[in-house]
Amino acid sequence: MKPAPFEYEAPSSVEEALRLLADPAIETSLLAGGQSLVPALNMRLARPERLVDLGRIEGLDAIRDENGALCIGAMATKRSIERSALVAQKQPLLHEATGHIAHPQIRNRGTLGGSMAHADPAAEYPAVAVALDAEFRVIGPSGERRIAAADFFVTYLTTALAEDEILLEVTFPERPAGEGVGFAEICRRHGDFAMAGAAATARLEAGRYQDARIVLFGVDATPVRALSQEERLRGEVPSEALHAEVAAAIGAGLEEPPGDQHASPEFRRQLARTVSKRALEAAVARAAKA
Amino acid sequence: MSPTRIPVRLRVNGRPAEGLAEPRTSLVDFLRDELDLTGTHVGCEHGVCGLCTVRVDGVAVRGCLMLAVQADGAEILTVEGLASPDGKLHPLQEAFAEEHGLQCGFCTPGFLMALHELIDDEPNPSEEQIRDVLGGQLCRCTGYAGILRAVQSAFAKLGASPSTESGA
Amino acid sequence: MAIEIPKNLDGLPTSQRRFVGRRVRRREDPALLTGRTEFLDDIKLPRMLHCAVLRSPFPRARIESLDVTAAEALPGVEAVVTGEDARRWSHPAASSPDGWGGHCLAGDEVRFVGEPVAAVAAQSRAAAEDALEAIEIEYEPLDPIVDPFEAMKPESPLVDEAKGTNKMLDRVFTWGDVDAAFDAAPHVFRESFRWNRVGANPTETFGAICEWDPMSLELTVRGSIQSASHFGLGRAAVFGLPSNKVNVIATPHGGSFGGRGGTRCTDVACLLSRKAEGRPVKWIEDRMEYLTAGGSQAWDRHYEVELAVDADAKVTGLRVKLVDDLGANGEPYGAICAAKPLAAFTGPYAIPVAAYDLKLVATNKLPSSPYRGMGPPPHFFVLEQMMDIAARSLAIDPAEFRRKNFIPKDAFPYTIPSGNEYDSGDYEQVLDRALELADYAGLRRQQVEARAAGRLFGVGVASAIEPGVFDWNAYAIVGLPGTGVPEGATVNIDILGMISVRVGFAMEGQGQYTLVSQLAADYFGCELEAVRVVPMDTQSAPPSFGPGGSRLGVAITGAVLGACEKIRGKMTRVVAGLMQTEPENIVFRDGKFGIPGVEGASMSVAEVAGTMLARSDLLPPDIDPRPEATHVWTAAGRTEPDAQGRAKSYLTAAQSVHVVAVEIDPETGQTEILRYAVVDDCGTRLNPVVVQGQLEGSVAQGIGAALYEEYVYDDDAQPLTTTYMDYLIPTVNEIPELLRDEVVTPSPFTPLGAKGCGEGAIHTTPAAVLCAINDALAPLGARAREVPATPNRVWNWIQEAGDGNQTPQGEGSNG
Repeated sequence: MKPAPFEYEAPSSVEEALRLLADPAIETSLLAGGQSLVPALNMRLARPERLVDLGRIEGLDAIRDENGALCIGAMATKRSIERSALVAQKQPLLHEATGHIAHPQIRNRGTLGGSMAHADPAAEYPAVAVALDAEFRVIGPSGERRIAAADFFVTYLTTALAEDEILLEVTFPERPAGEGVGFAEICRRHGDFAMAGAAATARLEAGRYQDARIVLFGVDATPVRALSQEERLRGEVPSEALHAEVAAAIGAGLEEPPGDQHASPEFRRQLARTVSKRALEAAVARAAKA
Repeated sequence: MSPTRIPVRLRVNGRPAEGLAEPRTSLVDFLRDELDLTGTHVGCEHGVCGLCTVRVDGVAVRGCLMLAVQADGAEILTVEGLASPDGKLHPLQEAFAEEHGLQCGFCTPGFLMALHELIDDEPNPSEEQIRDVLGGQLCRCTGYAGILRAVQSAFAKLGASPSTESGA
Repeated sequence: MAIEIPKNLDGLPTSQRRFVGRRVRRREDPALLTGRTEFLDDIKLPRMLHCAVLRSPFPRARIESLDVTAAEALPGVEAVVTGEDARRWSHPAASSPDGWGGHCLAGDEVRFVGEPVAAVAAQSRAAAEDALEAIEIEYEPLDPIVDPFEAMKPESPLVDEAKGTNKMLDRVFTWGDVDAAFDAAPHVFRESFRWNRVGANPTETFGAICEWDPMSLELTVRGSIQSASHFGLGRAAVFGLPSNKVNVIATPHGGSFGGRGGTRCTDVACLLSRKAEGRPVKWIEDRMEYLTAGGSQAWDRHYEVELAVDADAKVTGLRVKLVDDLGANGEPYGAICAAKPLAAFTGPYAIPVAAYDLKLVATNKLPSSPYRGMGPPPHFFVLEQMMDIAARSLAIDPAEFRRKNFIPKDAFPYTIPSGNEYDSGDYEQVLDRALELADYAGLRRQQVEARAAGRLFGVGVASAIEPGVFDWNAYAIVGLPGTGVPEGATVNIDILGMISVRVGFAMEGQGQYTLVSQLAADYFGCELEAVRVVPMDTQSAPPSFGPGGSRLGVAITGAVLGACEKIRGKMTRVVAGLMQTEPENIVFRDGKFGIPGVEGASMSVAEVAGTMLARSDLLPPDIDPRPEATHVWTAAGRTEPDAQGRAKSYLTAAQSVHVVAVEIDPETGQTEILRYAVVDDCGTRLNPVVVQGQLEGSVAQGIGAALYEEYVYDDDAQPLTTTYMDYLIPTVNEIPELLRDEVVTPSPFTPLGAKGCGEGAIHTTPAAVLCAINDALAPLGARAREVPATPNRVWNWIQEAGDGNQTPQGEGSNG
């Protein structure tokens, strides 16, 4: 399968990239790592008239600490994120999720920004961004703006990015001390897209939940944050029974889980219950007992 | 209107190489069709099977998921660059031959290049790391048992010292 | 000249076998490892064009209009062909059953998604795909025929109007008094099963480079083709060419596993070459094409099975009812998979009577292709589940139940009810070894503990027959005629004693070129490196079928050794003449001819060859002076099938026992294989490492079939499994480590006593895994009756059992 023809530009600056994007005459797509876009091109499911490759722009792949927050450039590869001691230390949930993405050969090229902008419902990074209250720094013809993760993922393969905007960087606010993180996903084979997954954080005080976050992926068009269950957990003592209840409620709360060859809607609902429970249990196990 | 072809200049297996590619030409098609390096194979073009794996600036990538034009200026290593010019096999290739790690051989170049990066990267990889890399490469003939034996043998031969030998 | 091919390893004229039966490095490997082996897509011919095929998006539709003028006019496009060209320049393809084949390009209707309707030859594949988009075509979609049971109803629309029915075959085969056995049996067990489409998926897709010479009217086809001579005859028939005007050059394959069909698009590429005035046209099937429209799908089956068991726990009868959805036509010969079970219908058991109610049905799905094992993997899946259902019901350990019913080791050669003969075996020994290897008793103890803790832990013991060395009569019931599958080899020794062996098949991965070298080197007492294997095209090759039906190892051994024996006979006469004695006094051993006890009366093979080639004046007058001979081997004693399809078909019967332990996660339905032990018996192992590799690869395919791989169609016959994101080939992480051992019961019928083993473990693995899963689910009253046992299905079965929705297991009342 060979792509339909397209033109190709590899600008060396963000300004140049913006200028190319803004041209209304040529339908343009941005190329980051290519791990999601190129298969779509190969199958002629995506047919842009022009590709603008962000790979030659310097400085878009930095991983840095900014007053405790972790800022990662959109073009940082998953490989660099996986190997970053800074990420492992400051954002363990992001670190853990990265290891679940496909295989090293894909992570070598795939980027943070590419995953976020592509917004595949079964992808790990969007759910992690929502769970960690990440902020997206975006640039367009009228300048920069910031978008909260909660607002970034709009629907199936669609984000709040306008057609003429480029994602520059994702900022992960500093995590509170003593927090535990948990991550669970159910795939047919290791490295496959998840049939359902969950990212969770938990903070305990005096043996009770002080704060919890559960975000599911693969079960709806965008990451699903189980807000009402997060509230329910506050003040409760973690237990198997509690987690089972919460998981059941999360499952019941899913409007219409998708169905495909690998999981029917009902089975996906079951997997949503399972990953919710497992992610919470893992987060609690790692949380500092105060 | 005949398609625009862009010059692509890079280094392959230690030597300068150049050719023309349409923007849509994949790196693996460029290597095979334009540079006549047909040792790297194509299995799916969806980025799943890993047959097209080559090393680009040191990292193992799917050659079907990269455009040739993106590789302009890059340093590429393919299976043709593993053995020494006088025909002496790289220890990885030796191990595959010794341990029956290949049957039809069509997927083998992809495995070799992915493992070649692993050897350089992690002189003492954990079982998990090895399986993470191998899990991204499909084989239909061997059931992987021979490949695992070959990998164990290769790492044992290479000991704790990473090999940057490419032979080219 | 009467020759005798050695029946066991000791029959080779060597005091010490250095190669046959030993671990040797493969000759094929250095080129494969360095990327030097030339696969089909590596070939570039002068002026070669590239083909892309326009395929139907509908499973059933009329083609209202088709206009290719815009595509033809595009720069870079050299030729476009449609169904009109196909009807002008070609005949419909052969099929199984007969009469269910069509032209390579659709005419005024399409019958499956992916059916070729037009094709373009252009300067590049990308340009050819661009040109497809310029082809103007209008379809009138019709309601597709999706369900084989609906398709069999008289009121159903027809896939092929001209056939008057959707039933390609509808026959009941009865072998012995089956009704009496079932009537008399105190226990009768009944169950239904479903096996979904799976298939070969070699890493190299199919393809061909076709050159139609307009001056000499000769066709040359290069391709990763499994049986080149067969393929060539097929092309000759399709294009109305004399058989000596079609030359097929088979390139090394990136795997095969039975699915290297691809005749339609090969013929399309031939038409394009003809239209492009003879320029070579390369067609390479891409993976999506393979998955949706290639030789990729097999075994779309609905089973109803009955087992009759007497008061002594002996199985007295087997009834198998099969509805096999073969898709839209019989061109890929998928039907032979429904016939092959006859070769081993009752498995390793001494079941005296059996019946096979077989319906092959046409629907608007992709025509079904062969896949490794052919029909037995699903057949043994159902037979082994029935054995377990019976054992469980009778409270007998499943391993012991099988032991009770095994064909005893002194009963061979053993003729089974469906007519084939098993050559040899010691099934109890294999079972004992497997149970010991797996620590079966330990696994059962582990199970008790696990069950007490509420865990779903299961152990499966399965045994199957792996028929080897096929013959056409195995497929007689689906229309394949005759017997005889020749394999020839020409062995030649040059003036310096270097050996070449000319064969008619391409490399496929089973190490056959290494085997040929081992045989010739041990026979003539030389080094492996002194033997060169030369694959020939079909116009030059000795008669050859090539790999398939687990035959090539045995067949090529017969061919090579036969040719070696013929050369030995000639050389013996030459030496006798030179030494002025009678041929009976000459002994050949360890590469030397001589008179025992006479010192100095010794000539090496090289010396004899040198003399024959340089000194014809010294040779007996009537002798063929070349140190060269051709021998063609085919299995002896194959019989014509009778009215019930009974015949001696597959020559050998390898057998194995697999013991599998699994644990199922009740929350996710996921099955983890905790232990996998396999003991197999495939007779003499000519290259033990290669045989082990075949087994390991076959187990992996069996696990894929049992748990991961499935082609899904929606209710409108649209294929949903179109990429490797959905068709899940197992990776290293899905395959457990194998505990392995072997038993060697040589075949009395074959060269060196080897049995066919190339298909191997896939006959048994899905059965074993499903037996384990059913054992794990048994305490819940849940049953796994469908393959693959995906997490979703397993979870559903658990829920259904919990809801009390599953009817009591298997046993029906009798009388």
